[in-house]
Amino acid sequence: MIDLLRILVAPVAWLAAFSAVYGLQAVLCAAPPDGTVVGLPMSRVLLALAFAAALLLQVALLVLLLSRRFGATSGFVRTVSIGGGLVGVVATVWTLFPVLALPLCQ
Amino acid sequence: MLAAAGAIFLMVAALLVLAWRRQPTGARRGSERVWIFGLGLAFPAVVLTALLGFGLVIGERLMPRAAPDIMRVGAEARRFAWTFSYPDLPGRSTDGVLHIPAGRPVDVAITTADVIHSFWVPRLAGKLDAVPGHVNVLRIEAEQPGTYQGVSAEFSGAGYDGFAFTVVAHAPDEWAAFMQGGGGEGGE
Amino acid sequence: MNALARHRRLQAIWSSRGGFRGLFSTVNHSDVGLMFLVTAFFYFFVAGVLAMLIRAQLATPHSAFAGPEIYNQIFTMHGTLMMFLFAIPAIEGMAIYLLPKMLGTRDLAYPRLGAYGYWCYFFGGAMLLVSLLLGIAPDGGWFMYPPLTGKVYSPGINTDFWLLGITFVEISAISAAVEFTVSILRYRAPGMSLSKMPIFAWYMLVTSLMILTGFPPLILGSILLELERTFGLPFFQVELGGDSLLWQHLFWLFGHPEVYIIFLPAAGMVSTILPVMASTTLLGYRYVVAAAVALAILSFGLWVHHMFTTGIPHMGLAFFSAASTLVAVPTAVQVFAWIGTLWQGRPQLRLPMLHILGFFATFVIGGLTGVMVAVVPFDWQVHDTAFVTAHLHYVLFGGFVFPLLAALYYWLPLVTGRARFFRLGEVAFALIFIGFHVTFLAMHFAGLMGQRRRISTYSPEDGWTAINLISSIGGFILAFGLVMVLIEVALHFLVRHRAPRNLWRAGTLEWASAMLPPAYNFASLPQVGDREPLRADPELPARLARGEGYLGAPDGMIRESLAVDIATGAPEHHVVYPGNTHLPIVLAAVTGLFFLALLLKILWVAPLAMIGVAVLGWRWVWVLGRREDLGAVPVGRGLSLPTIAEVDRPPGWWGSVFLLVADATLFGSLLFGYAFLWTIAPGWPPPAWIEPSVMVMALAGIGVALSIIGPFFATRANAGGNSPIAGLALSLAGSVAIAAALVAMLAMAPSATGHAYGATLLVLGGYGILHAIILALMAAFLIARVRAGYTSPRRRAELAILPIWGAYCGGASVVILLAAYLPVALT
Repeated sequence: MIDLLRILVAPVAWLAAFSAVYGLQAVLCAAPPDGTVVGLPMSRVLLALAFAAALLLQVALLVLLLSRRFGATSGFVRTVSIGGGLVGVVATVWTLFPVLALPLCQ
Repeated sequence: MLAAAGAIFLMVAALLVLAWRRQPTGARRGSERVWIFGLGLAFPAVVLTALLGFGLVIGERLMPRAAPDIMRVGAEARRFAWTFSYPDLPGRSTDGVLHIPAGRPVDVAITTADVIHSFWVPRLAGKLDAVPGHVNVLRIEAEQPGTYQGVSAEFSGAGYDGFAFTVVAHAPDEWAAFMQGGGGEGGE
Repeated sequence: MNALARHRRLQAIWSSRGGFRGLFSTVNHSDVGLMFLVTAFFYFFVAGVLAMLIRAQLATPHSAFAGPEIYNQIFTMHGTLMMFLFAIPAIEGMAIYLLPKMLGTRDLAYPRLGAYGYWCYFFGGAMLLVSLLLGIAPDGGWFMYPPLTGKVYSPGINTDFWLLGITFVEISAISAAVEFTVSILRYRAPGMSLSKMPIFAWYMLVTSLMILTGFPPLILGSILLELERTFGLPFFQVELGGDSLLWQHLFWLFGHPEVYIIFLPAAGMVSTILPVMASTTLLGYRYVVAAAVALAILSFGLWVHHMFTTGIPHMGLAFFSAASTLVAVPTAVQVFAWIGTLWQGRPQLRLPMLHILGFFATFVIGGLTGVMVAVVPFDWQVHDTAFVTAHLHYVLFGGFVFPLLAALYYWLPLVTGRARFFRLGEVAFALIFIGFHVTFLAMHFAGLMGQRRRISTYSPEDGWTAINLISSIGGFILAFGLVMVLIEVALHFLVRHRAPRNLWRAGTLEWASAMLPPAYNFASLPQVGDREPLRADPELPARLARGEGYLGAPDGMIRESLAVDIATGAPEHHVVYPGNTHLPIVLAAVTGLFFLALLLKILWVAPLAMIGVAVLGWRWVWVLGRREDLGAVPVGRGLSLPTIAEVDRPPGWWGSVFLLVADATLFGSLLFGYAFLWTIAPGWPPPAWIEPSVMVMALAGIGVALSIIGPFFATRANAGGNSPIAGLALSLAGSVAIAAALVAMLAMAPSATGHAYGATLLVLGGYGILHAIILALMAAFLIARVRAGYTSPRRRAELAILPIWGAYCGGASVVILLAAYLPVALT
């Protein structure tokens, strides 16, 4: 069971973060918060923070999966779970970069 | 996009045919590197990055942007007719025919009185749905005066087949006449 | 005991009752799997006939073949039958039939559940078929968008057939998914570690987890829409605080993973068959597994790409556009792993390989057009046109039907024990391949020329006449090809042309059983040390028949098998399966009565049917177990293992865990719906809020505490040799308190028919109350079992299930109360 969790954890964490950021974006457009931080609108800052948190989580998971202490012992599960960890990192960058690049609510 | 897709398809087909034409390589570790990492990961990553970037840039360009001379119209769908209204001409509305000025960006505020419909004038823009309770704004622009066919493109029950409308883009003088209350054979 | 005596003994133990009537009581996976497959192909035929009607209608402009009222039913039912009554059940049938044989074991984890799933499918499918025959079939398109499918615009019974029939059928998908997950994880041949599992099992494991998390949003959506239609709870009516977009989100939260739920098992078949056709092993097994996992999870992040035209902000679309392109990467990994496999072996153009080549050509084109529609501006043009129809047929026919036909030809000799005699298959393949591409390549262009999907007619001025005629002609060529396949399969059963054992020289275990495989699959269970045991040891079948594996000395009349450790495959428990019984069909019939009562609006019957389900469920579990300790029992090869009643985590525990995964997804979808309506729907805030109540919170708090600590005390007391009844009684009291608290909460909630807010609270509360009732039934059942002597300090397995249900019910109740009260307290 723990091996199954190792394989699934990073992509599932991506899915959760992805859905959460999408939800956050929808909420921010439905009820835009006031204020700016260093000249950027509050919505942009919040989305960027969420993106950074998601990325940090993925990197942390990848480090754990690579570590001797928490990583898998069997070679097969190790390859597949580290593959999953890399998928999580790449998917996070790939799917969430629009929070930095695109206009907020058009 | 079609050419690239065709090229990729031909490449896959060629690799398949070659599998029959050559000596078997046997199971080697190096072949995993070529197939899985080279063709499986790196190749699509490059192609898709280009495609995604291209799509997002085009998509951005199509979004409604601030411009000095935007014309606003309303489009309300009901089974099975479109009613167009003109905020600049209070009380004025046309059924089945949308009048717009040619050469000016037009924002169409799309709404529905019953089920979901979709506003689609293929030659002017992509489609955008009319969703109950929501107002969706579509930017269209007709560069040349003329008549453009539009259809509702979301299935809405029996009657959907013929659920169409027309967009008439007017040259500046005709448009002025329309604004004065004349012109536009679509009926009031 | 010699091989023949062993065979006779096992045959007597494992066979279903003879003749036609045996089908009603069989629980054997081979029987159930074939029943699923035959029924699924029947619906393939029906839906294929509907497809022909569609192509006949569209072949010429101004066609008077069918009016829109009938035509709308035809295309709705074509899509619905293909998706829900053909594709998913065909996958279930393949997996039910093949998995135990491939995994080197005798049956799936829950034989009766498999049979129950089949009968739910059978009765639910029959409901939809009846609606089609009576001309009152669903007509809102297969994705059933409200408000068109709401009571106002679809007052007839048509839509109810869809919502209730499909939900009923989906019981079979959920039950099969639970069964596959537990079977693949726990019911394998000894020694088969995760890295030695046949690749098809990996794909089915991933698919099953997807079904558990992908289907609940659809089931929830169907429940909500049916509640709106029957009781006026306005979830999708915008004037009362609902939003029709909620349906689209719920539907596509299911609908997109659904595509991959259909594709991944087919990819598993390709990964199994293709290496055999090239006399080699799969290239990059571990990467293929990783790619399948990645594909499965990424596919859950694509749902909004079906909603690009609904007016979602561009940034939201960009997330999903990016995810939709990304999903092509793991697909490419698999495709190139397959081609690399062909390069490293010696591919031969046998019939299954032809269909695999058909799969490659078709699926790659479908994937490429898929990447095109992932690009937002392109999608804005082609959305809801024939282009999308063509794309989805390339993906589903290419990605599913071609592999399924390859699988059909590949495994048919195993099922019948016969080889092909007539060579119809090659001609059939040519017709199918040419017919398919003529039909759907043309359809792409019709779409690009502006032809909308779902129109029943068009005029000559549209300029689509020639292209539609070509498409229709292609469709009929395709149909001829498929009919030839049918004829060949029929001939296969009629012509005696014996197939040799393992005629493809495959390495997986299903070819190690006799041809035809006996009801018990293997006379003794193999010790596996290789991913392709049959290749490593070609003498394996004979050695298994001689009883050299595990459980080779059947004793008594019980159906025995082994459960293994998930990771290593080391044997852990001795398993006893239930025998033939009518319980599954009876339970499915009573379940069907519930749905029928809702369909015909004879509402007073529905609660009676639910009570019937509870009574039969009680009976279902009661017949298992024994009243004396057995200790470790010998299982052969010098090994002794505890029986399944004397372990901490019995099959029921594992099944509960994965069922609760699905249940939690349903609950999560409901919470998502609540949040969605709250933030996005235009008709909010509601006219009245719920009154938070300290009394309700206190009562619920007591209930939650008891339902969590009660089971804990019960298992502790039992382990210490004391009576667990006090702990069980605490759980029972806890569930009653939870139910009472939630009823009280609902009594203080605003009207459920006046605004979506009240409606959502009612469903949230109802969900909690239903779970409290289930928990109460479980606690009461266990009290009865303890009193009847079915438990002991060693026979502790039954008690082990209550803690997870108690914790789930308690946790869900807390979340429900938070969801009801917290936002009100904050605003």
